[in-house]
Amino acid sequence: MSTNRERFKQVIHHKKPDVLPWIEIIFEETLMRWFREGLPADEVTVIGYEIGRGGTFFTNWPIFKGFGKIYDRFGCQSFFGCMLLIDVGPVPRFKQRKIGETEKHADYLTETGAIVRRPKRADFEFYAMPQFIEFPVKDKKTWEEYKKRLNPEDPRRYPKDWETEGYIDLFESYHKGPTLLRFNGFYGFGAELMSIPRFVTAFYKDPELIHEMLEHWEYFTIETIREAVETLKDRIDVIYWWEDLAERHGPCISPKLFREFFLPHYKRVTGFLKKNGIDRIMFDSDGNLNPLLDEIIEAGSTGLWPLEVNAGMDALEIKQKYGDKLFLIGNLDKRELAKGGEAMRKEVDSKVPILKEMGGYIPSADHVIHVEFSLEHFREYSEYMKKSCII
Amino acid sequence: METTILDNIANSLGNLENGEKLTELLRKALESEISMADIIEKGLRKGLETIGNKYEGGEYFLSELLYGSDLTNAVFEILKPYLQQLEADVKGIIVTGTVRGDMHDIGKNVFKMFAEASGFKVVDLGVDVDPELFINAVEENKAEILGLSALLTTTISEMKIVLEKLNSAGIRNRVRVILGGNAVSEEFAEEIGADAAVLDAVQGVQLCKEWMGE
Repeated sequence: MSTNRERFKQVIHHKKPDVLPWIEIIFEETLMRWFREGLPADEVTVIGYEIGRGGTFFTNWPIFKGFGKIYDRFGCQSFFGCMLLIDVGPVPRFKQRKIGETEKHADYLTETGAIVRRPKRADFEFYAMPQFIEFPVKDKKTWEEYKKRLNPEDPRRYPKDWETEGYIDLFESYHKGPTLLRFNGFYGFGAELMSIPRFVTAFYKDPELIHEMLEHWEYFTIETIREAVETLKDRIDVIYWWEDLAERHGPCISPKLFREFFLPHYKRVTGFLKKNGIDRIMFDSDGNLNPLLDEIIEAGSTGLWPLEVNAGMDALEIKQKYGDKLFLIGNLDKRELAKGGEAMRKEVDSKVPILKEMGGYIPSADHVIHVEFSLEHFREYSEYMKKSCII
Repeated sequence: METTILDNIANSLGNLENGEKLTELLRKALESEISMADIIEKGLRKGLETIGNKYEGGEYFLSELLYGSDLTNAVFEILKPYLQQLEADVKGIIVTGTVRGDMHDIGKNVFKMFAEASGFKVVDLGVDVDPELFINAVEENKAEILGLSALLTTTISEMKIVLEKLNSAGIRNRVRVILGGNAVSEEFAEEIGADAAVLDAVQGVQLCKEWMGE
């Protein structure tokens, strides 16, 4: 019988596993709801909170230590089973602090230099996405200043014990899922630093700045991950390339801009990875990516997640069009799954059996298991998925 | 001559040529004593309509939509000294905001930008807006349209509360309610008694224009 990691690897290499892996990301707020609905807290190891960066450097959400047990309990895998701990954020960090408040809201300087506003009501404070009030990069001058924090040579980017023997053994014993190396893509990085409107209009208003930023991000990315890639190339199963560059209507930038500004940089980063034998590169973006799929493949990506149904993404259509050029993860409509019962079964039945046959597909909700999902409905979904994933 | 200059303005904007070119064309239009109403309607807004159509047709994307709105709003700034009649030319008044508990504002801001460029006066209440504030703003501004935005499935129920409060205040029949954001759907709009739910800013502004009799 294969391990979870082996199954994951088989599928993303378009081979048939003995059992289809089923992957989810359970949102922390959902877990809180499930505790209230009767999930025994002692069955997930909650030692305490730590502030996690979630792999992208503008989120600072609390992470449950020992969260993995929740996945075992329901028979699925956590997406983030084994993430290489490389810091791709600004170093040094900005000192997070509250910089003002009103009766309803509090404003904070984030560790990435943005200013965000959070509601003070307890229900929303911890998990709700904040409103971004100000972004650190506005023009060439502020970029030049910010760039000083994006030095790939900074030794703080790697764990202190990176070079000690046994680091890989520790990974092996601690984690059960695939090993991921996660970093931010060219769009994701720029939009995080400048805001989406400022970044996407800068392609027209200040193309020189965009070229400079992307040039540096390519250098920064390759040089930051170089050590990990060159030493752990046989261990890294998949690259998790975060972008979030689309909305429900379509990509936030056109295929023309993607080709002109992004493609050469993408190719050099994916080329570096492929030279080291890492060719499973998963592109993470919500929204409707359909108009950009040819470019994404040409850029060197070989997988997609989460294939948001509400934005018109259809795993069957993509499989039929692109075959083994892309492995796919997700595309189960989270809204239908959360309804439970017949709606949930219909959603699973309409996709999993046929995609399982086509191969190169890992079932998952089309984003995190959100707070609308009751414990009862997730249990029901879990039982149904276990049956559906048998090959 | 007049038609050519106005077409050039519309084409320049619709094709997203740079701001200097557009400004130069506007200067020519002003020198030719073309009426401000024609410059705005047959030049600028026609160009903006082209951008909206190209966005809906898949030729343009968010970057082009925002840049086009940006160009238009920048031009309006330049024209301000000549535009006493702008206030009178307002197509309608829209109150908009993101509902209580939801801090997302990108979609709402895109809608606002495009609506303003299209000739609406937009009263933006920001994010995490209490239901009462929507009601007050609609009354105070005599708004014809209320645009409610929510990204989260956990906050769309707030839209229903706003609708209920509009009813309680006795002003529901004086204002059209349009919903936007990833979490909303036409079915949901119908369920809570809103007038419409739209996929994106362009659809939203188009609908607002239809409501105002365009």
